[in-house]
Amino acid sequence: MKCPLCGLEFREQDGVSGCKGCVVSGSCSLVKCPNCGYETPKEPGVIKFIRSLKKQKERKK
Amino acid sequence: MSLLNFGKKQESCRCHGNTDETTDGLQKVVLVGSPNVGKSVVFGYLTGRYVTVSNYPGTTVDVTRGKGRLGDKEFEIIDTPGMYSLLPITEEERVARSILLDENPAVVIQVADAKNIERMLHLTFQLMEAEAPVFLDLNLMDEAGRLGMKIDTGLLEKEIGIPVVATVATDGSGMDILKENITGFKNRTGRGVKYDKTVESAVQRLREMLRGEYRISKRAIALLLLQDDPDIKSMVRERMKDNYASLEEIVEETKKKYSQPLNYIITIARQREIMEIIKKVTVSSPAETLDFRERLSRLMMHPVAGIPILLLIIYGFYEFVGVLGAQVSVDFLEETVFGEYINPFVTGIVTSVIPWKVWQNLFVHEYGIITLGLRYAIAIILPVVSTFFIAFSIMEDSGYLPRLAMFIDRLFKKIGLNGRAVIPVVLGFGCDTMATMVTRTLETKRERIIATVLLSLAVPCSAQLGVILALLSGSIMGLWIFAGVMATVFLFTGFLAARIIPGEKPLFFMEVPPLRWPKLSNVFTKTYTRVEWYFKEVLPLFILASILIWAGKLTGVFDLLTNALSYPVALIGLPKEAATSFLYGFFRRDFGAAGLYDLKTAGLLDGIPLVVSVVTIALFMPCIAQFSMTIKERGWKMALSMAAFIFPFAFLTGYLVNLVLNGLGVVL
Repeated sequence: MKCPLCGLEFREQDGVSGCKGCVVSGSCSLVKCPNCGYETPKEPGVIKFIRSLKKQKERKK
Repeated sequence: MSLLNFGKKQESCRCHGNTDETTDGLQKVVLVGSPNVGKSVVFGYLTGRYVTVSNYPGTTVDVTRGKGRLGDKEFEIIDTPGMYSLLPITEEERVARSILLDENPAVVIQVADAKNIERMLHLTFQLMEAEAPVFLDLNLMDEAGRLGMKIDTGLLEKEIGIPVVATVATDGSGMDILKENITGFKNRTGRGVKYDKTVESAVQRLREMLRGEYRISKRAIALLLLQDDPDIKSMVRERMKDNYASLEEIVEETKKKYSQPLNYIITIARQREIMEIIKKVTVSSPAETLDFRERLSRLMMHPVAGIPILLLIIYGFYEFVGVLGAQVSVDFLEETVFGEYINPFVTGIVTSVIPWKVWQNLFVHEYGIITLGLRYAIAIILPVVSTFFIAFSIMEDSGYLPRLAMFIDRLFKKIGLNGRAVIPVVLGFGCDTMATMVTRTLETKRERIIATVLLSLAVPCSAQLGVILALLSGSIMGLWIFAGVMATVFLFTGFLAARIIPGEKPLFFMEVPPLRWPKLSNVFTKTYTRVEWYFKEVLPLFILASILIWAGKLTGVFDLLTNALSYPVALIGLPKEAATSFLYGFFRRDFGAAGLYDLKTAGLLDGIPLVVSVVTIALFMPCIAQFSMTIKERGWKMALSMAAFIFPFAFLTGYLVNLVLNGLGVVL
């Protein structure tokens, strides 16, 4: 995913690690940019699935 | 993840194309660079059809490899994941660096975005410091040209000391020269950065003490040690064994000589060197050559022209949230759904099941969990916040946010404030609690305190801003008075803080992506997730507030507090009923604003008192969660000092606004 604020491209796993110290991290579904800290919502499962199908199709080509 | 685990190539991989391909014995050409600079297109030119895509060992990061015949020789070409710096933040950057360190490349090509050359050269300098066999491919030269930018690549080559090739990979321009540079590559020592005496002396001492073989220069290792790179530290520790402690001592000793982290000191020195080069090698032609999108982009960031654009955007938000969110949705949910159905139905059930009035009050009547907590959350906050998040997602997806950050940065500089405080301030418009946590990423104590004060005082979060916009719906003059007061408070506090807490004013730079039309799917996803997140966070708090109010009513504490608050409330010209809303405001600014909304609907609040109440509550500390985060980040003493300043300051500002508006005979 790409941070809408600083433009850093990162994976969701890298974005969650910065939230450990936050008081609301238990109920929060935002991903934090490892560079600037801007939060972006996680992609819902359905959208991730469609994206993975698209990626597979492109690779086959 | 350790660098030392990256020595072997993965046995099983997700491959396609010619899986029998072997790359053993071939010289390696590694492509590195930030994401979206055209690495994959360059890779395609060098390799042709057959490539393998596999996870880098021990990670889930994709690395693409292929073979390419250049001249009469065959090479293995490796396309690495996006990398901004040799000091990694993400796993992808770690993998890219590991390939550089462990795969012994014959040639490293840094593919760079020509239009962002200033930012790109940081990695170039780091690669030169590491003595990597590197040359620079300035790609996307056509886009730079369209922006009126000219780069003298010959002069750049002389300045930095390594070969520079200009390309437009998408149409193949310059690719032949790029190929020639690979086949005829001769490793050259590039220009180095001269750091200050303290850093240079530490680097020298570390270099002399380093033992063992490293794939990159000892100078680069020393610099990465000074910047606390965990992977490099563990690699050196393993090689140096017992002697590592003396290296650590030098690093700690050097750190103590600066108030800012060494990473920052080193980056700033490199940036100065880069700026010198940029001044010599680039020429930007007049703005007439720019297209509409670029002109608009520049206007958005301009310290003067940016103001009307920002006001126009606020007005758009106001119309969208105020009309669609507040007037249409809130009216329907509050008046019809709750007023006519849910409240009478639940009240009927509760009063028939629970005979005791005291317990009935916990769930229904004036301050009940359902009739107050749930009603505020679902009928008032939810529709307002949802429409606000739609507008916010559109703004975010269009690329306006980085421009807003640059605009605020320029404004900050005018009042003597440092630009990097921009990031948490912009984040505060999303959620003040998280933004307060982000202030820890600021380098100096001074910056952290200023940013926290600004966030606590003058930056309403998105939910609060939504409810405030809804409150002011129907009074456009009220909106501009509110915006003017908030901007004045923000700039005045920043100006004052910058003078009270002196210090250096560091540089601020960030990537500004192109402006674009927002995608419907992105807007939907972002809005949906934000509403869900907000609702999960806010609903328990509203229920808790209802329970506390119920308990406060039982014990008499609630009446005592509202009575006490009614004095400052009367002083700023508001009806005494507003004291209850201000008490809610101590929990969350938006909970308080929802209370004010109730008063407005009941016809008890309009005109000047409405604007005064909105200004006052917007200056309150955002919410209990943000306050606890301030305690966590800045300590009890600082958090309580901020609260002791903010609450009286909010009432004082309300008092002054009331005085001025009445004095001027303003009619709203």
